[in-house]
Amino acid sequence: MQHHQTPAFFLRGPSLFIRLVFFAALSLLLMATDSRLHYLVEIRQGFMALLHPLQKIANAPSNLYSIAQEYLVTQKTLLNRNRQLEQQSLEQSAKLQRFKSLEVENENLRNLLSAAQSIPQPARLAEILHMGRDPFNHKVVVNLGARQNIVAGQAVVDAAGVIGQVTRIYPFSSEVTLITDKELAIPVQIERNGLRAIAFGHGRDTTIDLPYLPANVDIRKGDKLVTSGIDGVYPAGLAVAEVVLIERNPNSPFARIVSKPIAGIENNRQILLISIPKTETPAGTAINTSAVANKAAAESKYPASSVKPHATPQR
Amino acid sequence: MPPLSVKPIYFSLLLALLCQLLPWTGFGLILRPDFVLLVVLYWLLRAPNICNIGTAWMAGLVVDLASGGLFGQNALAYVFTAYFALSYQRRLALFTIWQQAGFVFALLLLTRITLLILKMFAGGEIPGWGYFLPSISGILLWQLVIFPRIGVDAPPHKN
Repeated sequence: MQHHQTPAFFLRGPSLFIRLVFFAALSLLLMATDSRLHYLVEIRQGFMALLHPLQKIANAPSNLYSIAQEYLVTQKTLLNRNRQLEQQSLEQSAKLQRFKSLEVENENLRNLLSAAQSIPQPARLAEILHMGRDPFNHKVVVNLGARQNIVAGQAVVDAAGVIGQVTRIYPFSSEVTLITDKELAIPVQIERNGLRAIAFGHGRDTTIDLPYLPANVDIRKGDKLVTSGIDGVYPAGLAVAEVVLIERNPNSPFARIVSKPIAGIENNRQILLISIPKTETPAGTAINTSAVANKAAAESKYPASSVKPHATPQR
Repeated sequence: MPPLSVKPIYFSLLLALLCQLLPWTGFGLILRPDFVLLVVLYWLLRAPNICNIGTAWMAGLVVDLASGGLFGQNALAYVFTAYFALSYQRRLALFTIWQQAGFVFALLLLTRITLLILKMFAGGEIPGWGYFLPSISGILLWQLVIFPRIGVDAPPHKN
């Protein structure tokens, strides 16, 4: 007996399995293109511009709620807050006066040493629109984008310290990777003794790791980690994290150091985007190249990868 | 069943995308069901002649773009899920309520597992069990909202 294909009663197009294979192959192709070749940046940007109105609508209810809440705040709380802010501003202006004289003094000393001037880095206030879509990446989306001359690689800080880095730019918004994300590394320095290291986000919870530090490293619980500034992206001296746990395992050559971010990673709405300085001074060329490399890497999805090589903490 | 046009399908998909785009935070973000996938599954099971694997693929691609993840990962997961959904679609009418719920839950889990495997290939680490919470909230949403309107009646019990 010969088996022959029964003719189909209804026209149903290609079979299910063929469709599966076709679309699966197409998806795999797209994934490979996106992760290795970076051709799809423009498509993504264009689509995000299209999606922007939808995003506005989606954000409208919560915006309305916060506006209503602001509107219905009592006079007493406003007065209280005002008093608090005035006091804070008074304290800070006193500190600022000292800071200005110190800055002048520092500049003079630098002139005497004929060292490179530190470049002022202007900052812009941005507002967080929403958390990232994937709860397992630590990312937020802010309301400034390519139209506001934001570029990938810019550092993001709040009043207390570093929050993260701009990693992807859309026309009207941009994506900030938080320092607790696994893919973000940040060159730091221990404030107490100036030891340089690189901090990596832990990824699973909101802590920061300091890997690759030897077991006998001079670090204590409560040490403050600040940015070292050698990457040319983060201005030096910004608070990053505080060491909360040190484990020295005799079986491992490295210490396990866990620290907690100082900035209000999860609970701020307003944040500052610090622009990348355009260094022209001869001594600043090394910094400049690393900043460019960093920026390029940030545009190519992995902001951290280029930070790793030029700040090896071997001691 | 009345004949369906394409319009309500795209409208409901847009609505689901809007739900997905709501500013979820904290535990809500972890618990957030995959609205687009649920709507895609609904149309796949209800109107397989209009909504096919291609529709699922497009929906997945849009979700990828909106979420800013790797381009194509959700699309691939949706395509796999759609394949299994469609290959059992004819038998759905014979399923009891709980069999249907189990079937849809298995499909939702399949999507999450596919995404997890892709994530592992991309070098991510294994997330906790919270990773599968969207499947559970998704099946609850299915039973509450979508199931009453699926239009496939459970067979009457013999006893």
